[in-house]
Amino acid sequence: MMQPELEVGATVFSTSFPVERADLARYADASGDHNPIHLDEAAAKAAGLPDVIAHGMYTMGLVSRAILEWLAAAGVDARITEFSARFAKPVVVPATGTSVEVEGKVRKVEGATVEIAVTAVSGGERVLAPARATLAATLSTGLWTTAAGESTGPVNQHQVPHAV
Amino acid sequence: MLSTSYVGRSLPTTPPVTVTAESVTRFAEALGLADTGLVPPTYLISLTLPAADRLIDDPDFGLDWSRVLHREQRFAYHRELRAGAEVTCTVTVESIKTVAGNDLLALRTEVNDAEGLAAEVWTTLFVGAAEEQSAGGPA
Repeated sequence: MMQPELEVGATVFSTSFPVERADLARYADASGDHNPIHLDEAAAKAAGLPDVIAHGMYTMGLVSRAILEWLAAAGVDARITEFSARFAKPVVVPATGTSVEVEGKVRKVEGATVEIAVTAVSGGERVLAPARATLAATLSTGLWTTAAGESTGPVNQHQVPHAV
Repeated sequence: MLSTSYVGRSLPTTPPVTVTAESVTRFAEALGLADTGLVPPTYLISLTLPAADRLIDDPDFGLDWSRVLHREQRFAYHRELRAGAEVTCTVTVESIKTVAGNDLLALRTEVNDAEGLAAEVWTTLFVGAAEEQSAGGPA
């Protein structure tokens, strides 16, 4: 039997992404959101912000990356069916750059569906309040098992779901 | 203050747009995602926000984009979307709540492809109270 053994409350990924202003410029081009508060220090300060801030959707995008990288590393064939976030605090990006620490915990397991709660911290502040993602396994077999079966898998620093 | 008479109204459905492989690759690369041909989880925002331009630019609605902050975002995906899909967007003003002079504007966008409803995208915008009469347009 290939049933998931994802414990509610367990941390399933914890990762840190560096964020530089050049990343925001690339995201602005890719997304079409060219609001200058994400690109230009003077514009950000004129809007009452401490400095350039990341697009909320850039931060949410990094959360999606953490989830997808976890799934890939764990060898789980699942897709995100629901994904939500509230932008509690801005991610301030000074000229020297910053980082966003992203951590995912299991919130709920129901059959082939898993709900993950993801926190994101930057500059010591929780910037999301928190994000939630519902993941549905796309195959009827091999749900939530690691690619390498019983082994610790390809990412030792991550806790990955194990087969029963 | 936003015009609450817009609550429940939908904008005309956008013409179909093709989710190009190039735009998917660019979006994936900007976030450091592996490019699998699947539409990245947050990609649809690049279609749904422009689909609301007609509302944002409507002077009768009263939205000053320079006072807008993105407050909440939610996606529901009813099936996988891949590069090459052709989709339309229909934006509906779901609610407007006023708290201490600030408005919270909730929009819901239906994303339809040839098979029907593929995804729903909810965006809540915080619109700060005007400190003075401002004629500022979209930032």
